[in-house]
Amino acid sequence: MKASAEKRAPWILLAPFLILFLFTFVMPILMAISQSFTMIEREGLFGEEGISTSFAWFENYRLALADGAFVASIGRMFLFGIVQVPIMITLATVLALMLESASARWPGFFRAAYFMPYGVPGVLATILWSFLYVPGLSPIVDTAHSWFGLELDFLSSGTVLWSIANIVTWSYTGYNMLIIIAQLKSIPGDLYEAARVDGAGPLRTALTIQLPLIRPALVLTTVFSIIGTLQLFAEPQLLQQVSPAIDSQYTPNLSAYTTAFQYNDYTVAAAQAVLIALVAFLLSFTFLRLTNRSSR
Amino acid sequence: MRRVSRRQFLYGGFGAGTLALAGCSTPGTSAVNTQPTIPPAAQGETVRLTYWAWITDLQVVADIWNEQNPHIQVDVSWIPGATDGGYQKLYSSLAAGAGPDLAQVELRALPEFMLVNGLVDLTRYGVEQYENRFDETLWGQVSFADGVYGIPQDSGPVGMYYRPDLFEEAGAEIPTSWVQWREAGRALKEKGIFLDSFPLTDGSVFTAHAMQAGATWFQAEEDSWVINMSDEATLDVARFFDEVVDEGLVTTQHEPYSPGWFAAASNDQIASLVSASWGDALLSGVSGAEGLWRVAPAPRWEHGYGSSTIGGSTSAVMANCQHPAEALEFAVWLNSHPEGIDGLIEHSGIGWSANPEHIGTPRQGPSEFFGGQEYNTEVFEPAAYDQNPDWQWWPIVQQTFSILGDEFRRKAQGLSLVDAVIAAEEATIEVFKNKGLSIRRADR
Repeated sequence: MKASAEKRAPWILLAPFLILFLFTFVMPILMAISQSFTMIEREGLFGEEGISTSFAWFENYRLALADGAFVASIGRMFLFGIVQVPIMITLATVLALMLESASARWPGFFRAAYFMPYGVPGVLATILWSFLYVPGLSPIVDTAHSWFGLELDFLSSGTVLWSIANIVTWSYTGYNMLIIIAQLKSIPGDLYEAARVDGAGPLRTALTIQLPLIRPALVLTTVFSIIGTLQLFAEPQLLQQVSPAIDSQYTPNLSAYTTAFQYNDYTVAAAQAVLIALVAFLLSFTFLRLTNRSSR
Repeated sequence: MRRVSRRQFLYGGFGAGTLALAGCSTPGTSAVNTQPTIPPAAQGETVRLTYWAWITDLQVVADIWNEQNPHIQVDVSWIPGATDGGYQKLYSSLAAGAGPDLAQVELRALPEFMLVNGLVDLTRYGVEQYENRFDETLWGQVSFADGVYGIPQDSGPVGMYYRPDLFEEAGAEIPTSWVQWREAGRALKEKGIFLDSFPLTDGSVFTAHAMQAGATWFQAEEDSWVINMSDEATLDVARFFDEVVDEGLVTTQHEPYSPGWFAAASNDQIASLVSASWGDALLSGVSGAEGLWRVAPAPRWEHGYGSSTIGGSTSAVMANCQHPAEALEFAVWLNSHPEGIDGLIEHSGIGWSANPEHIGTPRQGPSEFFGGQEYNTEVFEPAAYDQNPDWQWWPIVQQTFSILGDEFRRKAQGLSLVDAVIAAEEATIEVFKNKGLSIRRADR
């Protein structure tokens, strides 16, 4: 009697989580996978003479991959990630090391200041930045033009990707910095002492003590950033209104969103979503494999 | 106790999930218009209708009706505008077999809702008797293959908003044809003023120009759609705007009504705006613009019509409606009775009235913003009846507009609008085929 109550207890305690997890996470994923293998066929002008659904095999995946713009959007995110993720992680690491160094002034204040942009929702951050990008509104563009005769265009097809990268870096550097700082704080003080006794300066300490020891935090933030890059959505969607260079399939998520909610084509959108998840999984997995191997 | 391994747990979950999914049917597979009609409610019974719409304060207008018709009570719920979330909600509710009795659906989105069997064919409830209350062109746009799938609510006849002072400064005439319009643009360019803005990202404005030039991109024939997007009229328009954009007479950087556009307009850098009648309210958002703008008829092509239309909605009776007869009765009152129209204009800010007999009391008389001009009766009323009557919307309008917009964006990289239109036609045919709809090219 008592034993069975003991067995039941964890399930009862877990139930609220499990129910939400099942209905808002597992079910939608299963549904997306099953939809991605479904095909709808119509007869007549609108399907008024009959609509039937059937198992599509990989037809939706074929359509998604045959769509050059969708594949290009994944390529665009590769380019974005290869440039933006290293910059952001380097910046976050440098900031974290400086704030945690012995000579830092007001580290608490600066920590909060650097973290602050993360508190601004991505949508608002994009709107704020867009005012700095749009000619006629932006003091930067207008000053560069009237004082130096420079024609800055942050929103052209060549530059807008980096304008988005700038917003993302601004938003997330502080957040990544905080994760790294947390790991730095867990380094025992006697290691620093030993280093100092051995005559290591701040730079030497950073390179041979701190960096190797915050490796797990660096791996974690990089993996998060890779996944985040593939899921880029709000920033380009909002900048679309001010930049003609951003089309309806600029990022993979924007493409899936457009297919599902503008074209009402849920089956192909589901296939696109599954493909995005697969690519994110593959990239994170490869990155983890590479970092594991080199640490051995 | 036997322990469930993680793997078994996952398999179990997958199996249960798949089972649960097997119970869901695919949206749009039940054909509402082949089922028997639903008779009106018995005398003395009170019917409650729900109406989803994104126009503001529709409940205030519905309450006028509710007061007079105690047996048909209408409750309005607000949804986000069109593809910003409203349609997604409607599609989801249709898939779930629930949702409102009536909904706001744009004219151009009706065929898209028909693809999921989302709309009631109103001819089954005697809508023909009300046909004479509505504008012919709009009635044509809600009629498909012997059915009527929505009650027209409003439209957006196109005119030209312009700044007489800037035209005068440049020594340019107010244009009545597109050729004159371009000449005026050259004079304005010398003063550093843009004639207008040409949106590269939004296909609907270009579509309106083609519509005015007499193009009919789609025609629903008995067994198949007939596409004719790259006809001479459309290619002429594309060639014309290729030149206008290349000469730099219009800005492609600021889409009309975007923040950058408002800034440029209040800096006296935009001399005119060829846009819909509902642009008047938006234009009043340009700071310091009061009294500076006037309205003239849209410039004309050598062929085609005096005006075209951008935007416009319907009140559509949705597939899961339990009282279609009553819903129809309300929709007709709302969109054709003077009380309904005046209410919609005053409280909900709708576009041009769908009833030619009543353009709306608030729209008569001089306008202070436009320097005392009676622009509604002077410009937009005639424009509303000088429309391309053959124009028909097709089931993937939104997608065609996106494709067109995506192709137009490549103008910045040197591609021409003519190429864009031809490529968009190809892509549109492909989408039709992928959706399992039959389509063929028009004979030329």
